[in-house]
Order: sequence, then C-alpha cells, then structure tokens
Amino acid sequence: MLKITREEIIDGKFERVLNFFRSRSMWMLYYCTGCGAVELPPTMTSRYDMERFGIGPMATPRQADILLVTGYVSVKTLKRIVYSYEQMPEPKWVVGFGSCPVNGGIYWNSYATINHLDKYIPVDISIPGCMPRPQAVIDGLIGLMDMIGRGEAVGYKKYQLNNEWYKKNQREILERAKPVLGGTK
Amino acid sequence: MTNRDMAKVIAKGWPDAESIPRYQNQIEIVCGNPDSIAGLLHYLQSVGFDHMSNLTCVDWLEENRFDVTYNLWSYKYDLQATVKAGIDRDEPEIPTAMDVWPQAQAYEQEIHEMFGVEFIGNPDLSPLFLHNWKDIPPLRKDFDTEAYSVKAFGAVRNKE
Repeated sequence: MLKITREEIIDGKFERVLNFFRSRSMWMLYYCTGCGAVELPPTMTSRYDMERFGIGPMATPRQADILLVTGYVSVKTLKRIVYSYEQMPEPKWVVGFGSCPVNGGIYWNSYATINHLDKYIPVDISIPGCMPRPQAVIDGLIGLMDMIGRGEAVGYKKYQLNNEWYKKNQREILERAKPVLGGTK
Repeated sequence: MTNRDMAKVIAKGWPDAESIPRYQNQIEIVCGNPDSIAGLLHYLQSVGFDHMSNLTCVDWLEENRFDVTYNLWSYKYDLQATVKAGIDRDEPEIPTAMDVWPQAQAYEQEIHEMFGVEFIGNPDLSPLFLHNWKDIPPLRKDFDTEAYSVKAFGAVRNKE
C-alpha cells in the first residue's frame, strides 16, 4: 500500500495528483459587488448548470476555493474583499469577472471605484465582457480548472511572496492620510 | 386644486418665496431667504404638501451658488413642489429640515458628504458612503474625478 507522508505532500511530490482533484471539486464564493451577479443564476441553475463541472456555490469564505469578484469594486468593497480573501484557506483562486476588475470598465474615471483589482489581490484569471454571458463564465472557469491542473494558478503563492507589495497598495487606498488632489473640505 | 391655484395660495401665504407653476401638476418654489427654509417647509406642509420625497443639491459653479432642492408631494391634491434654496458656495450653511420631516436627517448627511453643505441643527453629519475621504467633496463641479482616478487608482485613458 502506498503511504503518503505529510512531508511529501508539502514538498510538492504529489502536487500533480492533488491538483487533479482540486480542479474537479471547487466551491465558489461569489462576491456580488456589481451588476455581474445577474449572470450567475443562469450559470448555476439548470440551463447552463456549472455543477456538472464540479463547481458549486458556497456561502462562507472559510469553506470556499474560488473568490468570484463580479463587477466593479468600490473602495469600501475592496476592504471587504481583502477580508474575505484572507479568510479563505489555501489553496485559493480569484476570478475577476467582467471588465471592471480588469481596468475599471465604464467606471474607470469614477472617484469611488478602483481600477485594477490585481494590484490589491492576485487575480488568477479574468473573464472579460460587459457582462460576460454564462457561456463565457463557464469557459473562464474551465480555463481556471486547466490552469490548476497544470499547476499554473498560483495566485495565493504570489500573495504570500509579494505580501508587502499587495499590502502597500491596499494601504495606499484604504488608509490614505493626505488628500490626493490637494485641498481639504 | 391645480398647480396655478396652489401657486396663488403660496404667494399669498408666504410672500417671501416666489412660486412658479410649471408643467401639469408641478410647482417651482424659490425660497427668498434660506435661513427661513424650515418655516417655509412647515408652511408648505400645512397647506397640503405632506410628503418629502427627496432632498438633493445642485452645484452652480459659475454663479457661485448651491441650490438645496426639496421635492415635496401632496397626496391630497396630487401636486409636486420643487423648493429651491440658493446658498453661498463659499460658506454653504442652511438650517436643517429635520423638525418638519425627521427623515431629512439621512439626506442631509449624504449632501454634507457629497457637497460639503453644513446643515445647522442636524446632530449627525458623519461620513456615510465614502471610505476615508480626504479631498474636497466629490460631487462638487470643481472636483476633477478623472484626475483623482488617475492619481489614486492608476486609471489609464484609452487611446483613440
């Protein structure tokens, strides 16, 4: 009988096997920040049924594998997204959904929404579109499954390695001490 | 009662304010003295405008003026009134409307955050929507939202 010790798993010898199983059973936490939430019910329910790929909805961040950020991210929401992301157990992946987490989308010049989500938390895959149709959502999630299977989706490791850079970017937005443009109330 | 009749009633009862009948069932009321806005609103409530549906603010940058705008509705006569109180843009101060309609508190809190208007008598003008805001209030017309986004979030304008 094959015995797998804990050290071997941590060393990454069985990472390929683990990745195979991880990519086929994913629980998704969908943080419905913007309008993208409306595309998720048809994706989840019988018409497109993403559960046939092993992706199911999960209510809490502590039991979730994927964080789906659907739509624009306001500054107040960013704080909650960072909280939720840091509560999730590793391995964990982030899917940016729609144009807004990529470059701001139509809210690119708004004072209240951030423009590039991958400056604050690591985004493994982005699904472009405004809004992406359920087919595009499923295509993006299957792309994520392939990336996990190949061992390329390593956003959570980037977050550990470059934690200072991510934290610095988050602090710049969330704990700003000086006015950006000058002039006070 | 039509909007013309109501405008005559208001012109007689509160001569300080200028009331102009507009389309269909609408009346525009320009408050002459913003310090007496609470009295005017109380009077309008007594003549039938029993519901405040909205409270907002308009920034007239060239005229150096804020128009604090109250949208009132009369269930009795099916009339809609827009009360405008013009205040100085450099020192924006106006008495609160909380004594007439208590729900004005949240609206005033929002306008204070977005335009910087001080509502005298409102007990809670703490920040409501914005997170850790340090700049000038964002809905003022002299606030450059694109420059803010470029500087704060690294926004990039698409090349045409």
